[in-house]
Amino acid sequence: MLRMQNLSKVYRTHLIETHALRGFDIHVQDGEFVAVTGPSGSGKTTFLNIAGLLEEFTGGDYFLDGVNVQGMDDNARSKLRNEKLGFIFQGFNLIPDLNLFDNVDVPLRYRGFNAAERKRRIDDALGRVGLASRMKHYPAELSGGQQQRVAIARALAGSPKLLLADEPTGNLDSQMARGVMELLEEINEQGTSILMVTHDPELAARAQRNVHIIDGQVSDLLRETNASLAAVAATA
Amino acid sequence: MFGYYLQLGFRSLRRNPALTALMVLTLGVGIAASMSTLTVLTIMSGNPIPDRSERLIVPLLDNNPANFAADTKAPDQMSYVDATNLLAQHHAKRQTALYGIQPYVDSGRKDLPPFQATGIAPTHDFFDIFAVPFRYGGPWSADADANRGDVVVISTALSEKLYGQANPVGRRMRINDREYQITGVVGDWKPLPRYYRLISGNPAYGDIEDVMIPFQTAVGQEFGNDGSTDCSGDSGNGYAAFLRSECVWIQYWAELASPSDRAAYGDYIAAYIGEQKKLGRYPRPVNYTLYNVMEWLDHQGVVGKDSRLQAWLALGFLLVCLVNTVGLLLAKFTARTGEIGVRRALGAPRREIFRQFLIEAGVIGIAGGVVGLALSFGGMWLIARQSRSMETVAHMSATMLLATIALAIACSIVAGLLPTWRACQVRPAVQLKSQ
Repeated sequence: MLRMQNLSKVYRTHLIETHALRGFDIHVQDGEFVAVTGPSGSGKTTFLNIAGLLEEFTGGDYFLDGVNVQGMDDNARSKLRNEKLGFIFQGFNLIPDLNLFDNVDVPLRYRGFNAAERKRRIDDALGRVGLASRMKHYPAELSGGQQQRVAIARALAGSPKLLLADEPTGNLDSQMARGVMELLEEINEQGTSILMVTHDPELAARAQRNVHIIDGQVSDLLRETNASLAAVAATA
Repeated sequence: MFGYYLQLGFRSLRRNPALTALMVLTLGVGIAASMSTLTVLTIMSGNPIPDRSERLIVPLLDNNPANFAADTKAPDQMSYVDATNLLAQHHAKRQTALYGIQPYVDSGRKDLPPFQATGIAPTHDFFDIFAVPFRYGGPWSADADANRGDVVVISTALSEKLYGQANPVGRRMRINDREYQITGVVGDWKPLPRYYRLISGNPAYGDIEDVMIPFQTAVGQEFGNDGSTDCSGDSGNGYAAFLRSECVWIQYWAELASPSDRAAYGDYIAAYIGEQKKLGRYPRPVNYTLYNVMEWLDHQGVVGKDSRLQAWLALGFLLVCLVNTVGLLLAKFTARTGEIGVRRALGAPRREIFRQFLIEAGVIGIAGGVVGLALSFGGMWLIARQSRSMETVAHMSATMLLATIALAIACSIVAGLLPTWRACQVRPAVQLKSQ
């Protein structure tokens, strides 16, 4: 579904170069639920932005659903983003003066679906997150958990192959977070790949696979843990 | 997507209502100032008879004395001798001489004492040359011109004043103690400006004259000239001598069959001057000028420099309003960088963001246009209150009405270009994280 090989991202100013990602390799299979963890500043968000085609990368290769995205222009990237990807953000990022129906409608408009198709998909997506009856409500009239459900419905409406979730429960209390997580698991069971960035080890543990990022590189957690244990044993 | 963006545009008017109101008002005021002055200028400088303005010619003949400077131009009017000679030769398709008169109208009614009206004395061709519409009846005949018939054409205003809504054609009315038979009542004719008689001492804009009697009838009755009389030589003693003099006081129009006949008509005028020289007139070298309608308006300076300056000032004011609108739009669009980030993430390419925000700017233009239109009508009302002549030009046509809205939309789109371009530069990744 998603494959990055030796990917690098360098932020340059006239004074310094910052290597946000270097030698970055990752492969997410179709239908996989991968949690991406790592300390702040490790490059998680940069990775997610590049994965979401929101930022360019400096070197390496990135294939999204078999398509090499390098050198694509803004139109092609936007089209690919619209067709293949769904986004869920920590801050929900709903458009406040659009009601739920119109919020979910946004990506479908850019896809060019006709009105009937858009309505069918919106009804279906809001139905899946349990908010079909509130489609005329505005985001401000909903709880945080409900808003995140709307964001999930918006991400799902275009039938993406990969959901990119950036701290999807970061702004929710534990009960709401649990509900959102269950929803994501249900979506994944239905075949959508999910790449979730999180700080929460409990949430990460519920994913099929964890990828840990440190200093802009994918770190093999198991190997590092074993090395640490060996070092401790040697000193003892 | 256009309909969708239009809908979003109208919806966004409700967002930041104070900012939106300020923008709409700024744009509206600029548009109103421009359109009200431009409307007046357009009417002032418009072609009053577009279908034949190229064919209607004012010939000016230089009958100045020999001692005038070499570069002295031909006078703006014609002597009686020349006017009657040219009329008699019938060289053009149609021709008329005319001068202003001040007729005293006596209705014979106790409730309406005799009053002075405005008037002109043309020939019967006048009505065809200038396509004068008739409410009742029509022009007098060529015979009436030749025989100094006591006939009259009156304006609708005078007709209603004297006879109410009745058709007065055939009735006789008393002018300067003489009976004239009414042959016609002029219908809805409001030439802007009154190009057929620009040299009158009256404003170029205003109502048409109330009384029109044949040129030769007026001369026969010794009607004085209500207008400008310029005598560079001796005007003689008495009315008959005045008619024989070189005083210029008559305006003359010729209607050519085609604009291409103009050169030939010029040759004819030159030949006429040549003939007159043989009779001892025209001491200076042959000199004449022909003007068509628009050239005549220009020559007479109908559109004053003040009007043009006002229009430029108003356009300058509009520019200031536009710069303000740019600033306000920048503020409005900057507040929506979050939404832009979301839309970009959901699949909107930059060009769609550009379209959406430019259309939103256009919607503000529509609102600004509506406000501008309302304010324009207010502006026109103020202009109309300046004078009766301004009242006749301070009217907004359907074209100007549509132009107001179009200008407002165009202005808002131009003003929206920079803010929209800035909106397109939003980096979604940064915005989405900072939300």
